[in-house]
Amino acid sequence: MASHVLAKCVRQLARSSARFSSGNIAVRVAAAPVLSNSRAWSFTARSQRTRWNEQLLVSSPVGVLCRQYGHLPPLTLDTIRERVMYVLKLYDKINPEQLSTSSHFMKDLGLDSLDQVEIIMAMEDEFGFEIPDAEAEKLLSPQEIVQYIADKNDVYE
Amino acid sequence: MVSSRLPAAALTLKQFLQRQKVLGLYRNMMRTIRQVPDEGDRKYLRDWARDEFKRNKSATNQDAVRMMITQANMHLDELKSSLALANVK
Repeated sequence: MASHVLAKCVRQLARSSARFSSGNIAVRVAAAPVLSNSRAWSFTARSQRTRWNEQLLVSSPVGVLCRQYGHLPPLTLDTIRERVMYVLKLYDKINPEQLSTSSHFMKDLGLDSLDQVEIIMAMEDEFGFEIPDAEAEKLLSPQEIVQYIADKNDVYE
Repeated sequence: MVSSRLPAAALTLKQFLQRQKVLGLYRNMMRTIRQVPDEGDRKYLRDWARDEFKRNKSATNQDAVRMMITQANMHLDELKSSLALANVK
């Protein structure tokens, strides 16, 4: 009876593993004769099963946990715009309701030149590169920042 | 009499250069403060620098501004040297 149950288990395992690997035929072949109620066979079936368990344990995390180093989602104009607007919304002196991509930091949002410096520094933090002073002071609206970052990262439409 | 095409509120060259200097100093200050390891200290220093700059925002006397720039430079040097000391270990 026990061997019967075991055989069932093995067959189920073999069937489910068919999805993972093409090399399961050997297992199915080994599993099939177990039905003939012999104790010796059930032992082989068990060892087969444990081996399969090992294989499953080894093979499945590899596919899931495989890390790809240095991989970032590709920058597009939309993602840059989204991130720029997100940083701006988090900045305490900007009212998120007044904010739009074309609004001028000083004329529309009432910021001063020191705030603008801070915004540019926040952008440097977000995108991970330094913006030189001469260019930093020309960036006076979200749209200009997006354009500048896109140019620097070779992102075009 | 040569009539200037600039608006009346435009800065003179000297004022403009001084403004650039102040903004550069502010940027430098923020960059240095960013390296401070402790989160609380960083916030405190950032607020302090911001407040100092904002407090003297309306200063127009060029000599006074120059003095303040010198003072800020001294603070910056001090901050940099203590940061360097803290990082040696």
